[in-house]
Amino acid sequence: MSISHLNRTVTILNTLAFLALLVSIATIFTYAPVERSMGNVQRIFYFHVGTAWVGSIAFFVALVAGILYLRRPQWKWDTISLSSVEVGLVFLTIATAAGSVWGKPAWNTWWEWSPRLTLITIAWLTYAAYFMLRGAIEDEEKRGRFAAVYVIVSFVTIILAYASIRIWRDIHPVVFGGTLESAQGASEGLQDIAPGLASMRMGITLTVNVVSFTLIYLAWLVNRIRLQYLKDEVATLKMRVATRLQGG
Amino acid sequence: MASGRLQVAEQTHPIFKLQSPIAGFGTAVWSLVWKDLRIEQHTRQTLSIMVMFSLVTVVMFNFALSTELDAAREVSTGLLWATIILAGTLGLNRSLALERENQTIDAILIAPIDYRAVYLAKVISVSLFTLLLEVVLVFVFTIFFNKPFWQPAVLLVLLLGTIGYVAAGVLITSMTIQTRSREVLLPILLLPLVLPLILPAAIATAEIVSLQPEPDRIRSSLSLLLAYDLAILAVGFLSYRFVVES
Repeated sequence: MSISHLNRTVTILNTLAFLALLVSIATIFTYAPVERSMGNVQRIFYFHVGTAWVGSIAFFVALVAGILYLRRPQWKWDTISLSSVEVGLVFLTIATAAGSVWGKPAWNTWWEWSPRLTLITIAWLTYAAYFMLRGAIEDEEKRGRFAAVYVIVSFVTIILAYASIRIWRDIHPVVFGGTLESAQGASEGLQDIAPGLASMRMGITLTVNVVSFTLIYLAWLVNRIRLQYLKDEVATLKMRVATRLQGG
Repeated sequence: MASGRLQVAEQTHPIFKLQSPIAGFGTAVWSLVWKDLRIEQHTRQTLSIMVMFSLVTVVMFNFALSTELDAAREVSTGLLWATIILAGTLGLNRSLALERENQTIDAILIAPIDYRAVYLAKVISVSLFTLLLEVVLVFVFTIFFNKPFWQPAVLLVLLLGTIGYVAAGVLITSMTIQTRSREVLLPILLLPLVLPLILPAAIATAEIVSLQPEPDRIRSSLSLLLAYDLAILAVGFLSYRFVVES
C-alpha cells in the first residue's frame, strides 16, 4: 500500500467517522426516547455499548492479523495487529468509563467486582501487557512473531472469560446474544433494560451508534497504520543518514 | 559390503528399530520429562524455591490478616490459588531459564524431535513440580486455616487448574526469557492471562470446602477449567514452534 493511497483512505474515513459521530450524537439526544426508570442518564448506554462493541471487534481483528502474520510474516499484518490492539484498548477504556458513569445511577456504585467487570479488567490488563512484551524485544521479526502468539493466546482467554460470564449470575445486563431469561436474571432487582430495548427507537439508536463507532474504529485504525508507516520511514531515513555520515 | 552390514544392523539393532510416529512422540516426551526430573533430583532447586516461597507467602498473608482470623479463613481458598500462581511463576522461570543458561534448549531443538513434544514435556514436568508443591500447600492450609482442603475433589480442581496454568505459563515464559526484561515480564503477561482460569478454580475450591456445597456451581466451574485447559493446550501445541524458533 503506497502512502498516497493511505493518505486518501485516511481522509475519506476521517470525514465519514466525523459525520457518523454527529449523527449518533443527534440520535442519542433527540431521537431516542427518555428511559422510563433511569431517565436521561440512560442515554450514555448507547455510547457504552457502541464502544464496548468496537473493543471486541478490534481484538478480533488483531487476532486474525496475528494468525496471518504467523502464516506469512509481513509488515502489514504486524502493523494491523498492533494498531488494532492499541485502538481497541482505547475503546475498552472509554466503554469502561462510560459503563461506570451508567453504573452509578443504576447500581448506586461506580464499580462492582462482579464476574463481568472483573473479566473486563483482566482483558484490559492482558492487552496492556501486549505493549510491555513488544517494548522488551528489539529484533523486529521476533517482536512480530511473539506479539502474534500473545495476541492469539489473549483472545482465547478473553473468549473463555466471556463464556464464563454467561454461566455465573451477574449484575451486568446481557445485551448481545443473551436469552431473555438471562437478561432478566442479570438485571434482577436492578433497572430493567429489557422493556427499554424492546422499544423500536431505542433499538434504532443503538444500531446507529454501533455502526458509527465501527466507522470511527476503522478511521482510527487506518490513521494508526499510517502513523506506523511514517515512523518506520523516518527510522529508515535516519539509518541512511547515519550510514552516509559514517561513510564520509 | 559396508552398506549391507548397516542394513543388517538397521534390522536387528534396537536403536534402528522404526517407531510409529505416535510412539516416537511419546518416547521423546518421556525422555524430556525424565531429563527434567533427573536435573531436579540432582539440583533440588526448582521445587525447594517454590515451596520456600509459598511458605513465606502464607505466613505473610496470615500476618496481614491476623487481626481477623475469621476473615483469613474466609478467603483461604483465594489465598491458596494466589500462592500457587505466584510460586508457579518462580518454577516456570527457573525451569526454562535453566535450559537457556546451559543452552540445552538449542541442543533439544536441533535434535529431530517434534516441537510439540518439547512443549508437552515441559508442561508435564513443570506441572509435576507444581502438583508436588500443591500437596505441601494443601497440608499447610488445612492446618493453618482449619478447613477440609484434603479432599479428592479439591485435588481434581488443583490438577485441572495446574495443567491450564502451566500450559499457558510454558508458552509465555518461553517468550519472556528471550526478552530484555526476562523474569520481570513474566508475571505481567501471565497473571492476567490465567485469571479466567483461576477465578473458576477458586470458586470451585471454595464451594467444595464450604459447609453447604452447591453441586451446580462446582460442575460449571469444572467445565470452565476443562475448556480452558483444552483451549490453551491447543494454542500452545500450534504456536510453540513460533516461540522457540530463532
